[in-house]
Amino acid sequence: MDKKQSNHEVNLKGTLVSVFFVGIVIVAMWVAVYLMYVAR
Amino acid sequence: MIAQPERKIALWHLGVAYTAFLIGTLMGVLQVFIRNDALQLPAWLDYYQILTAHGVLLALIYTTFFIFAFFITGMSKSLGSFGPKVRLFSWIGLWVTLLGTVMATVMIIAGEASVLYTFYAPLKANGFYYVGLALVIIGTWVSSFALVGHYIVWRRKNKGQLSPLFAFMTITTIVLWIIACLGVVATVLFQYIPWAFGWTDTINVELSRSLFWYFGHPLVYFWLLPAYIAWYTIVPKLLGVKVFSDSLARLAFVLFILFSIPVGFHHQLTEPGISNFWKFLQVVLTFMVIVPSLMTAFSMFATFEISGRKKGGTGLFGWFKKLPWRDVRFTSIFIAMAFFIPGGAGGIINASFQLNEVVHNTLWIVGHFHITVGTPVAMTFMGLTFWLIPYLTGRRFTKRMQRLGFVQIITWSIGMLLMSTAQHVLGLMGAPRRTAYSGYNDHPSAMEWFDGIISNHVTMAIGGTILFLSAMILMYIVIMTMFVLPKAETPEQMVEFPLAESDMSNTPKWLENWWIWISIAAALIIIAYAIPLTHMIQHAPPGSKGFITW
Repeated sequence: MDKKQSNHEVNLKGTLVSVFFVGIVIVAMWVAVYLMYVAR
Repeated sequence: MIAQPERKIALWHLGVAYTAFLIGTLMGVLQVFIRNDALQLPAWLDYYQILTAHGVLLALIYTTFFIFAFFITGMSKSLGSFGPKVRLFSWIGLWVTLLGTVMATVMIIAGEASVLYTFYAPLKANGFYYVGLALVIIGTWVSSFALVGHYIVWRRKNKGQLSPLFAFMTITTIVLWIIACLGVVATVLFQYIPWAFGWTDTINVELSRSLFWYFGHPLVYFWLLPAYIAWYTIVPKLLGVKVFSDSLARLAFVLFILFSIPVGFHHQLTEPGISNFWKFLQVVLTFMVIVPSLMTAFSMFATFEISGRKKGGTGLFGWFKKLPWRDVRFTSIFIAMAFFIPGGAGGIINASFQLNEVVHNTLWIVGHFHITVGTPVAMTFMGLTFWLIPYLTGRRFTKRMQRLGFVQIITWSIGMLLMSTAQHVLGLMGAPRRTAYSGYNDHPSAMEWFDGIISNHVTMAIGGTILFLSAMILMYIVIMTMFVLPKAETPEQMVEFPLAESDMSNTPKWLENWWIWISIAAALIIIAYAIPLTHMIQHAPPGSKGFITW
């Protein structure tokens, strides 16, 4: 119970933005090589 | 501090690991100079010998010995002292692995095995090279079973309890390793050794490569999971918090057992002997590995944020400034993680079926390897080295060493950024891998590749030189912490093993039921491999004789 409460109290907004950043890097690199593949 | 006998075994492993590291990095810097025409090798030494030694000694030997040093220390720390049998088998494992290493290295130096670390047939090395590699695997199995034995004894004494997170993760890695090695053991024992000694005339090349990559991809996770163990169990301690979620950490690890093995075909996407259906199935399974990888990324950011906020960080990213940047044990691992973001993204590109055609057989792959194994894994190991050796020797890790540690990780990062970016860009343009410098008879298109500021042999050579300098600084730190620095006399001077607390109260017991995970892994392996491998054996093309091209 205590743990559940403490998890709710933790502010993880920065974590959310950070993992979005990782996702954007993955997508951007993938799309860049995909466009290269299509262009060839 | 752990018991003296385990300290001795772990230190021997580290000694071998760093001897391999020294020779392997020297072979690395020689390569970039040769590619730059700045160095002419003597007649008795050629580029491919150096390339093979670099790959084998760093990717296979440094990693393996370091990993077992870390495991032995961590298992003794988290489960208690080893019994006499566990100690004996840990020593036997060390000596058998070392014998295999020496045998394989002698063959490479003698010019009998310039087959690169992937030893693709039909390139044929001296039979004793393959015997050496087999001994390396057998040795690691002996060491692995010693640790599994230690774990079983603990579980018998603590019936119904979950094991400590470090031990759970170590056993996960060992389970993965043992299942993975079955492929390479099969091909080395039944294909390469009989062929290399002349007992059979030809070899089924496609089968040998498929069995190699059955092993080769989880091999990557054998390197990576010990780094993840450090990220999950050591980093929170350095940050002054608990493990973010024990259940998440354990689930991520068992998912690696399931999804890192039945995926080897994504290394063979350009090979004609495997039908598209099986390649596609394994591509899909490869993408499943992204799930535990991103779980790990989330867990790490959450650990950072919780710690930073606890120390007063506010706003969206105020916590970032509160991280212990002055602690080289943390900063090294943070940089390692940062490198893994583009490294992992590159891996997704490599495994994306058609996109693989853009990068396959190019220097991109070499660059990818260096920002996955060469930095996230290697720099995590460096970050561990800074405290692991003094912890084992009982010596102090002085302020001067801490400063040198920073110089080392910064130079490694700069060198790697220069070298691996050059390799990625050159690869995208078409520059080949696995070969010495090739200008295709000075064809203008090939010459243009090397005209850029980044995509230049000089950039690569500068990067490689900085990396070598960094490696030598690390060797200095290793020697100092192993033999020279003063012994710690007070508790404050003692170097600790920073193992974080992990709250297991909400962790489901089924996460540690190995039969579930090994059974699902076996089922996935059978689904992904049984039919295509059977096909390769039943409808085998004519075998190939051996080629010795050097």
